[in-house]
Amino acid sequence: MSIRKGKNYRYGIHVPDRKYLTMDCPIENMPSPNKVYLNMSQHIGAPANPVVAVGDYVKKGQMVGEANGAVSANVFSSVSGTVVAVEDIVNGLGQKQKYVVVENDGKGEETFFNDISDYEPKTLVARIREAGIVGLGGAGFPTAVKLSPKTQLDTLIINGAECEPYLTCDYRLMLERTEDIVKGIKLVAKALNLNRIIVGIEANKPKAIEIFSAYPDFDVVVLKKQYPMGSEKHLIYATTGRKVPVMKMPFDVGVCVQNIKTVIACYEAIEKNIPLTEIVMTVSGNGITNPKNVKIAIGTPINDIIEYCGGKKDGVLKLIAGGPMMGKALISFTQYAKKTDSGLLLLVKGEASDSAPTNCINCGVCAKNCPMRLMPMYIEAYALSGDFKNAEKYGAMNCIECGSCAYNCPAKRALVQSISQSKIKIKELKQNGKL
Amino acid sequence: MANSDILLFSSSPHVKSPKTTKWIMLNVCIALLPSLIFGIIYFGLKALLLVAVSVLSAVVSEFIYLFITGKKFDEIVKQFDYSSCVTGLLIGLTIGTNYPIYAPIFGSAFAIIVVKMLFGGTGKNIVNPAIVGRIFIFISFQTVITAYLSPNIASISGKTLDTSATALAGLLGQDGVQIFPNLSNWDLFLGTGLSGCIGETCKLAILIGAVYLACVGILNILYPIIYVIVCGLFTVLLNGFDFAFFLPSILSGGLMIGAFFMATDYVTTPNTKIANYIYFFILGLLTAGLRQATHMEVVSFAILLMNLTVPIIDKFIYHRPFGYYKPKKEAK
Repeated sequence: MSIRKGKNYRYGIHVPDRKYLTMDCPIENMPSPNKVYLNMSQHIGAPANPVVAVGDYVKKGQMVGEANGAVSANVFSSVSGTVVAVEDIVNGLGQKQKYVVVENDGKGEETFFNDISDYEPKTLVARIREAGIVGLGGAGFPTAVKLSPKTQLDTLIINGAECEPYLTCDYRLMLERTEDIVKGIKLVAKALNLNRIIVGIEANKPKAIEIFSAYPDFDVVVLKKQYPMGSEKHLIYATTGRKVPVMKMPFDVGVCVQNIKTVIACYEAIEKNIPLTEIVMTVSGNGITNPKNVKIAIGTPINDIIEYCGGKKDGVLKLIAGGPMMGKALISFTQYAKKTDSGLLLLVKGEASDSAPTNCINCGVCAKNCPMRLMPMYIEAYALSGDFKNAEKYGAMNCIECGSCAYNCPAKRALVQSISQSKIKIKELKQNGKL
Repeated sequence: MANSDILLFSSSPHVKSPKTTKWIMLNVCIALLPSLIFGIIYFGLKALLLVAVSVLSAVVSEFIYLFITGKKFDEIVKQFDYSSCVTGLLIGLTIGTNYPIYAPIFGSAFAIIVVKMLFGGTGKNIVNPAIVGRIFIFISFQTVITAYLSPNIASISGKTLDTSATALAGLLGQDGVQIFPNLSNWDLFLGTGLSGCIGETCKLAILIGAVYLACVGILNILYPIIYVIVCGLFTVLLNGFDFAFFLPSILSGGLMIGAFFMATDYVTTPNTKIANYIYFFILGLLTAGLRQATHMEVVSFAILLMNLTVPIIDKFIYHRPFGYYKPKKEAK
């Protein structure tokens, strides 16, 4: 339909995006590894229940974990071979989680879903649920739940902002798999039974903007290059001007936001009958020899990925699953790719911050930059002194953990850590009726 | 496993801006250098000596305090963030060259140990240490020092002040009688022929420093400008709408250095934009009012008073989250 500029949102920060490391690297298909470790909780909600036993033969695309309840997702084997273990493993995040380990026989035998019977919204949502698709932007919220709102929505927003530094996998997908994305968007719109489709792309991706503006069905919105433009609430504001009220969800303002990768996964599940077994991630940072965008099987050990990218350099300080602003630091290399991983970063000293926190100097930079308009310094101070009532007063529960506050903090205080801890604590206290 | 496999585990974000407290404080020191240089030109090497003694005293006080509280020397050096340098510089720049050399030693030591360190160090002080240090010296040596020395450089308008009181005292006069100084506004701006403290006579130097701070993104220059203009306008108002008072009132005394370097200290200003506008507005009114009432240099006292109101202002003014709507009143 048209290209237009997004609504200006004043609050946010400017982070050097460092996307040039992988921006021009086409997505490469990494050969499937010898063993895949399939985590049973790769999504928000209850972990999936393993439905295979040790010794079972599974094909690629065969279900190994079944969704446990409405907010949960199926897990599929990403290789063909024998199940060698169903056990609890302590992963790189330090969490003990249930894994199904499949040894690859190298035959690559695949199994598919049956062809879809009709294109009714209910059928489409059922297929998306069946394929175990979750929000691949990082949150991992089951997409089927998002696509079955209680009220009729009027707008579908496709999130092509990719505001996290380093990450370029969404950008590469927009260039290389445009047709699939377009088909996927239309299918998702059909599932939601709506016509208004907005594609939001950050201004630092002119090629992607050019490609998508050629499609007459979409309203392409050029977003200001600002972090965190890809945050759901801010994307909705920038593209439609609607403000999601505090503690409410996007569907309360008639909007559904979907990530580029989620849309591709929906297309593959519906048209090609493939469940979610592969993801595209950016392997980057100054600690890796050849930064790349790779398509990998879910459950690939990250050591294999690093090896495929030429191995790591000396002096890796931090290993991060996801982007540098919101990703999780890993304590060891015993981690396995999850559905929601969009990046694997190996940062060296000087690139990743390792400075120790000092006293808060009340400069107010955190409050000035907070895109959610919170008061991070107060929340942190109250959280550290155990006064969670006041922490909530200053907006702890509204925090999206984007890290804008801590990025600019001159005292290098661990603001995000304190706030996310107080979020957990407030929830706990509320459940016990103590707050 | 090799040593390089030890990974740092900490909360997101994993990249952070290179600006640290140390960097900020160092830049404030740099921004104060023009004032120091002009002070040396105007008042001779005694000025440099006083400032150097002041800075040294501040830094040594901090080290001694931390040493007594059981920190190791290399730890103290690592923690050192130049904030005591800023305090020392400001105290040195806001005294006159006729003060004895031991005045800044006491002033800086009092400011650092009592006002800053006893409250918990950088960021924990409730009032600006430099302000208290200056007031400490001002009150302690009141009987010794009755006037400021005139600078080495004559005024460009060729006139001189009759007394060696500061221009501000000349402006407001005694017993409420308004006497304009014999100096032109240019003299007041450049500090030529103007007696006063080392760093506060040359407003040009102060503005150069302030513009530098604004350019590197440390200072929101709007705040001190609000302060200065409100103070000037209120003086005009108090003197029956005589706009001849506007420029002399904002260019005299310690208003400029107070506005651009002391009142804007991060620690002792409110945390939000709106709260800051209110803070600096009231500060302007207070300064002009106190000046009119006391005929003294009151900028530091006004800032001290307002520093104490910061917690109250912050208690009532804070951000509401994005998407916040006023809760609808429930029908009874």
